[in-house]
Amino acid sequence: MRLHRIRIIIIALLLLALALIPFWASRYVENVCLLVCVYVTMASVWNLLAGYSGMVSLGQQMFVGVGGYTLAVLSMYYGLPIFLSILVGGFISLLLAVLISFPIFRMKGVYFAIGTWVIAEALGICFSNWGYVKYGMGIFIQPTQKMSMSTIYYASAVICVGSLFLVYLLLRSNLGLALMAIRDDDVASEMMGVNIFRCKLVCFLLSAFITGVSAGVLYLNTVFIQPFEAFGIGWTVNLLFIVIIGGIGTLEGPIVGAVTFVILQQFLSEYVGYNLIILGAITIAVIFFYPRGIFGTLQHKYGMALFPIRRD
Amino acid sequence: MIGYLEAVITGILLGGLYGIVGIGLSMVFGIMRQVNLAHGELMILSSYFSLLFVHLMGLHPLLTLFLVLPIMFAIGYLIQAFLFNRVMQETMEPFLIISFGLSIILQNALLLICTPDARSLKTGLVIMSLDVLGLFRIPLIQVINFAVGLLVLLLLHQFMKKTYLGWAIHAASEDLSGAKLMGINPKRVYCFAMGIAALTAGISGVLVGMTFTFYPHSGTQYLIIAFGVVILGGLGSLPGTFLGGMILGISQLVGGRVIGPGFQLLSGYLILIIILTIRPQGLLGRR
Repeated sequence: MRLHRIRIIIIALLLLALALIPFWASRYVENVCLLVCVYVTMASVWNLLAGYSGMVSLGQQMFVGVGGYTLAVLSMYYGLPIFLSILVGGFISLLLAVLISFPIFRMKGVYFAIGTWVIAEALGICFSNWGYVKYGMGIFIQPTQKMSMSTIYYASAVICVGSLFLVYLLLRSNLGLALMAIRDDDVASEMMGVNIFRCKLVCFLLSAFITGVSAGVLYLNTVFIQPFEAFGIGWTVNLLFIVIIGGIGTLEGPIVGAVTFVILQQFLSEYVGYNLIILGAITIAVIFFYPRGIFGTLQHKYGMALFPIRRD
Repeated sequence: MIGYLEAVITGILLGGLYGIVGIGLSMVFGIMRQVNLAHGELMILSSYFSLLFVHLMGLHPLLTLFLVLPIMFAIGYLIQAFLFNRVMQETMEPFLIISFGLSIILQNALLLICTPDARSLKTGLVIMSLDVLGLFRIPLIQVINFAVGLLVLLLLHQFMKKTYLGWAIHAASEDLSGAKLMGINPKRVYCFAMGIAALTAGISGVLVGMTFTFYPHSGTQYLIIAFGVVILGGLGSLPGTFLGGMILGISQLVGGRVIGPGFQLLSGYLILIIILTIRPQGLLGRR
């Protein structure tokens, strides 16, 4: 019971810190925090797929691209309100996920991973050959109402906290139990009456929606969208790095990983040319020495958990 | 009509090149049940090695194969011995991540050393072409690619069937504990297998360098082609890889002809998704 109280206090302090950032931080720090929030959001839903449901998707960038482009097209061409456009971006990502779920869910393991990647690549080619979105040149996103950095930051923070809470609830529900059963032994769980297709579909759709929405917020800050960058594998690569470094299959892992990743990225950006080499070397080193990732190792050794999923 | 015939024939020839691009990836999966994400970078690395020897010694790119292939075999052997052998477990993620880290390192090291400029292994072969029944001409280099691809497939098949090492590799992939009991050291076998896979990557790297231009980041593009090819044919099946290469080659060129040249890659990917939807384990793959 005491542990429970400590947890609540820690979470409350973290939330307070998140809320207070715009009051003291410089524009640069605010930008870094925004990146952390967006990456925590995307990484935690990727973790839901890869770490809990056994679906290693290499195609999350398709939702990033669709979310970003929806924002660009709706707000620039039609002058729709920004946050409405972002929300619509999420729903279009969701629609895309529904459409591709039929072919993609027939594939398993590596086939699933490559299948999702190929679909994302195909979408990238479509967008770069599409005159409506100015081919490969890309679109500038200049909202009609000027937005302050703090507004964008708060949007990302709200989405981040909201999606973490959603993932937490989902994992504690019956669906979460079913998911872990599927991950550990899909045949046995199906025999026990788990509807595998439905469980996986829920996770996939949720991840599509949340990734699409948070990509919209990110592009609000980036101001420029271009097909090969938006639909590039680089996005999923970052998510993979974050989740592995933080600890796959733990809820807190993506948070620790995203903070580490963004700080490393900022720190290494001074060493142009070497930064990705160092990032690659760190990834290999972590797998060798801490195969469970940072938080996974802590949890394994000390039984730490900020958001306990097991019901005790 | 003749246009389509030309597209199909060039597609088949391109498929031979694609087949050899994917063959190393397929081998590693067949033997170790692991996916090597650094395969594309190994290819491009050997393109640069070949370029280096062309510049240093003025050799013909095809002759540099004699220097590039031993180097690539050694690189493959060493990365398996020092990196991959440490993560040969039941799960796939650690291997995926390690090979991924390796691919980032290789790609950016190449970028640092060789600059992002486009390179190619220039030869007189590129401008030569063969006349097909007086209807159209096909580039000679494509015919060479296809011939080399077929030759490598046959050699690899014979190697796996006839040599002791081939049997050992086969045994280790079929039944690991049984192979161990027969005195096979699986880690050493894996080293040889990765060496051979890197060697095939070396051959395809030189051929690709002679056919197209390449950049330090071209590896990703060929990795996805390799994946497409291997997955179409079914992971681990060598003849399937070749078949997959041809299907991808034909669907790219015919699709490019029907929709437009900008959609070559797209039509290849569409066919890939359609085939995988119908047969999720690939054409010649086993469940």
